[in-house]
Amino acid sequence: MSMTLRHHPVLGGKAALRLKDVTLEALPEGHVLQLLAAAPEAGPGLRERIGDSDLRPLAPGQWLLIGNAPLTPEDLTGLEERLKPVADIVDQSHGRVRIALSGPAARAVLAKGTAVNLDAAAFPVGHAAQTLIGHIGAHLARTGEDSFELTVLRGFAESLWDDLAQMAAEFA
Amino acid sequence: MASLIACPHCGRRPKEEFTVKGAALARPEPQAGADAWFDHVYLRDNPRGPYQEFWHHTSGCRRWLVVTRDTATHEVEEARDAALWNRETAR
Amino acid sequence: MTSYRLSQGGLIDRARPLSFSFDGKPMSGFAGDSLASALLANGQRLMGRSFKYHRPRGVLTAGAAEPNALMTIGKGGRTEPNTRATLQELYDGLTARSQNRWPSLDFDIGALNGLLSPFLSAGFYYKTFMWPAAFWEKLYEPFIRKAAGLGEAAKESDPDSFEKCWAHCDLLVIGAGATGLAAALTAGRAGARVILVDEQAELGGSLLSETATIGGVPAAQFAREATAELEALPNVRTLARTTAFGRYDGNVFGAVERVQKHVATPQVGRPVERLWRIVAGRALLATGAEERPLVFGGNDIPGVMMAGAARSYLNRTAVAPARQMAIFTTNDSGYALARDLEACGVALTAIIDSRPEGAAPGLYKGQARILTDALVRDAHGGKSLSAITIARQGRTETLRLDGLAVSGGFSPVIHLACHRGDKPVWSDAQGAFLAEDRKGLALAGAAAGLSGLAACYEAGARKAVALLDQLGIAATAGSVPTVEGDIVAPATKPLWSIPGIRGKAFIDFQNDVHRADLALAVREGYAHVELAKRYTTNGMATDQGKLSNVNAIGLLAEARGVSPAEVGTTTFRPFYTPVSFGALAGSSHGKHFQPVRQSPLHGWAKKNGARFVETGLWYRSAWFPRTGETTWRESVDREVRTVREAAGLCDVSMLGKIEITGKDAALFLDRVYCNGFANLPVGKARYGLMLREDGFIYDDGTTSRLAEDRFFMTTTTAYAAGVLNHLEFCAQALWPELDVRLASVTDQWAQMAIAGPLARTILQEIVDEDISNEAFPFLGARAVSLFNGALKGRLFRISFSGELAYELAVPAGYGESVADALMEIGKPKGLCAYGVEALSVLRIEKGHVTHNEINGTVVPADLGFGRMVSAKKADFIGKHMLAREGLTAGNRHQLVGVVPLDPAASFRTGAHILAKGAAATLENSLGHVSSSCYSPHVGSTIGLALVRAGSSRHGEEVMIWNGLRGEYTPGRLCDPVFIDPENAKLKI
Ligand SMILES: [Zn+2]
Repeated sequence: MSMTLRHHPVLGGKAALRLKDVTLEALPEGHVLQLLAAAPEAGPGLRERIGDSDLRPLAPGQWLLIGNAPLTPEDLTGLEERLKPVADIVDQSHGRVRIALSGPAARAVLAKGTAVNLDAAAFPVGHAAQTLIGHIGAHLARTGEDSFELTVLRGFAESLWDDLAQMAAEFA
Repeated sequence: MASLIACPHCGRRPKEEFTVKGAALARPEPQAGADAWFDHVYLRDNPRGPYQEFWHHTSGCRRWLVVTRDTATHEVEEARDAALWNRETAR
Repeated sequence: MTSYRLSQGGLIDRARPLSFSFDGKPMSGFAGDSLASALLANGQRLMGRSFKYHRPRGVLTAGAAEPNALMTIGKGGRTEPNTRATLQELYDGLTARSQNRWPSLDFDIGALNGLLSPFLSAGFYYKTFMWPAAFWEKLYEPFIRKAAGLGEAAKESDPDSFEKCWAHCDLLVIGAGATGLAAALTAGRAGARVILVDEQAELGGSLLSETATIGGVPAAQFAREATAELEALPNVRTLARTTAFGRYDGNVFGAVERVQKHVATPQVGRPVERLWRIVAGRALLATGAEERPLVFGGNDIPGVMMAGAARSYLNRTAVAPARQMAIFTTNDSGYALARDLEACGVALTAIIDSRPEGAAPGLYKGQARILTDALVRDAHGGKSLSAITIARQGRTETLRLDGLAVSGGFSPVIHLACHRGDKPVWSDAQGAFLAEDRKGLALAGAAAGLSGLAACYEAGARKAVALLDQLGIAATAGSVPTVEGDIVAPATKPLWSIPGIRGKAFIDFQNDVHRADLALAVREGYAHVELAKRYTTNGMATDQGKLSNVNAIGLLAEARGVSPAEVGTTTFRPFYTPVSFGALAGSSHGKHFQPVRQSPLHGWAKKNGARFVETGLWYRSAWFPRTGETTWRESVDREVRTVREAAGLCDVSMLGKIEITGKDAALFLDRVYCNGFANLPVGKARYGLMLREDGFIYDDGTTSRLAEDRFFMTTTTAYAAGVLNHLEFCAQALWPELDVRLASVTDQWAQMAIAGPLARTILQEIVDEDISNEAFPFLGARAVSLFNGALKGRLFRISFSGELAYELAVPAGYGESVADALMEIGKPKGLCAYGVEALSVLRIEKGHVTHNEINGTVVPADLGFGRMVSAKKADFIGKHMLAREGLTAGNRHQLVGVVPLDPAASFRTGAHILAKGAAATLENSLGHVSSSCYSPHVGSTIGLALVRAGSSRHGEEVMIWNGLRGEYTPGRLCDPVFIDPENAKLKI
């Protein structure tokens, strides 16, 4: 049978929240791939195989490969082949949702949730860490001086959004 | 209010990000015999002072660590990856 | 009226008058006033009633230690009891009410307690209320509640918001007086990341109450300039109105910032209080010192005040505490007040100096009469001080006056340095308890026993340099600015007991503990400091003995004839001052109390009218009522029948899902499951039992082999997180030599069970591959293409219900759309949505277990899984303990089914199983019902039970006994599989 399949982005109904000093934005549900290497030392080998894609460290021997465009099954298979035998891929494109937080107050908002020191010296642009934002686990990446991305389990995405909106409220 | 554990992979994080399992003990060999297994599963030292425990950085890197914690002061002297501990110590 | 506002001076803003009310009486003050200073300025010296005797009380201090001036601020949900008037900033429209009085502050019936005081002595509670127990609840407690106590909490919910926050710094400076400012400036100028906290609204500490000049400008101006410099530095964060209340592991400090407690209507969106957790590389305690009261009769009468507090009211808020003052001091600091009073034109009758030698020559140039070697023995007056009696060289003299300022020396504020179990050390030289510098923390200035602005400034800068040096940050102390007009008060011998006292001499003002109470404790054998504290309740009030503990220790030492060092202190614990529950809860209330975890099929369930049930953080669809159905049972029975007769669709997305890859994945599974997995063919699923190392079952689920080195495991919903932790433990800590990689994919897949005889017919319409019984038999597992190649999913032919069934996993974002399509296709064939209630009935009918049965006390054989346990494998988790005698005995509790003899009768989960005719006692219990439900298939209530030697008791008649409800249901044990025991339905 053929019919129209609809994709339901979990934060699809959320308009960007633009406050004076901070902006909260749901990012497109493109692709999030969890890369699992046999050994933590596999990092450099990975780079050669994937070029300049957005690769973020997740844990020793694990990375998130992130992009705004959805991947076709063929894309995924191709990538899997390229990464062999350095790393396996587990597709998390639907299991993880990204939220962008930016503006001069972004750090102050995040400090209400995470114990990670977000000082530029300790957590420079390009840095990433898995942590708790309040009660919710999330992968936090610094994408610019004043901009961050949070990658969260799909099931918690709405709760995290609501929490962030409350944490940001004073910067309206 | 707070306790910090220095994860060797993530840096200092609050205890809320971790799950503690208890004494860091090496698993006996399969043929170790009933007594050794009984000891392993049920018997624990209860020292006042440094104690090695398994902690899991559940909300961080999800690595298991062997944390040396002083039971009297909660001072954490060392935290290392459990795989490293296993390779170097447990056998 | 005795206290009053001076016509000039102070740091208040006379251009900004503020109106407020106290006990309904309208009053006015100025911006810059505290509630206490404004009340004094309005002549209101009576501010509360004491806890036990309801004695009239006035304000004693100007800071955090205030024991008397506790008030209820605000209205409705914003009501805040026990607020210290000394720390509450005045704002326009503030309403304050006195506490602990009835019917009014001026006329209080409870003051009769004072007449009963012989019966209310120390140990009173223990002696009187010990017996009989029933009297406590009915008589004593209500009486005490009415007679004693503090303000009442509001019944309405708090409309304001609170939050928690983390901060990190190289140097945390606590206290922004001369010491703290010097430290923060030194560290800030060196580029270190500094956080400076102070509990007052304005940084400056005692500098704001000081008349000395620093660097040629008034001390307060110096403080403001220093603050401005600090606030301009990007590496410095200053937090006024912030109390550091605790020091915790890892040099983390708790602090509470009163963000909007000084405004009438807090701005929405901003918290009123913020709880900081400050991770400090190093911390400097510049917390100053607490002035010590003196223990003479009537030392609690309104009009008696600490000398430093009097000085603060005078200089900072331009309030004279009285019209005719005297000063009672043991040290030189009292003379600074004498000088300032005279400069402000307040009459000073006398300075009573306990020292035979008096002050240093030339220190005091004023006009007041000085009595050395003299003691104030008693103060007199009711609601206001009227006179004092002085004892001097054997003679007494009475002075009529309305204000007495007191200084018994200083106790450094060392609480935070002792919060992690470190004990303070008594210093004979300082006449005080001091704390030692320790790892991560140092004390400086008055907190370390120093006196004098220059010395404090120098010490603050020097200690900051030393602390930063430990972190490898270079800083220089710089020169100390010139200080002029400062009266330095070196430590003097403490004065503990004053002889010949007539009135009550209070030690703990807030808990109404007076000297005779302490003496009684000593006489009755409770002289140990910890015992005396509990016996007298000294130091147990909300001020935690800030003013009273050292005096109590001194008096105990004197009574025992030993040094205070030998008496020691009670234990210091957080919190330094009370912290509101709001701040501790932060934003975790209401909608933000805990996160909600939403299934990708939540929208589908909602559209289909689901009733939801919370399962952990998940919201699961419980049942789907239809028009005309009036009870949940009607809906559930219909859903169960539909699955058995046609087909149903259930959301099982919340099952834990773990992807396992790596070349040793199969070997790894062999070690974590008790049954074999290494031989599982690609394209097949297998039910697995995971044991704990002690041999008991941990969790169950199915694992499918998707490729040679890729498996897909499902766990129960409840243990999803635990199982992943466990697998990671095995992979990392036990067998790091194996190449096995784990990833949770619970959220990646929307997973739905399609169960019932028509399941295949319906599914085949969207699955591109052939899923006939031949092509895709029971326990098949494979990737599938859906909707003519539009989507990739995974299909598993597994069954929890006992019917022909599949679980279909699709990428979560498409879950709702796929479920909608299946509903549309299935509708003509009778497909219905079913929830966890029906799921539960279906599985009980089939005899499938959940964590109701896997309760931590069962081994595989108990559930009939004995033959699943591999005998071939040399090792797996749980193997070695499973062979124990007790775990293999034949009389263990084993899984059975249970039905009532009368199909119309029912029973509940948790009921005990008794042998027929046995007395209903716990000793006779053979086991219990672990799961039960009404079975539409059987036509009665059915249950699963864990019963002693149950597998050999099928057919036995028993009594099902619910002791809590007194229910007795005759029943029969049976096979736990109520439907299709041959599994014929699974294989069609
Ligand atoms: Zn970590």
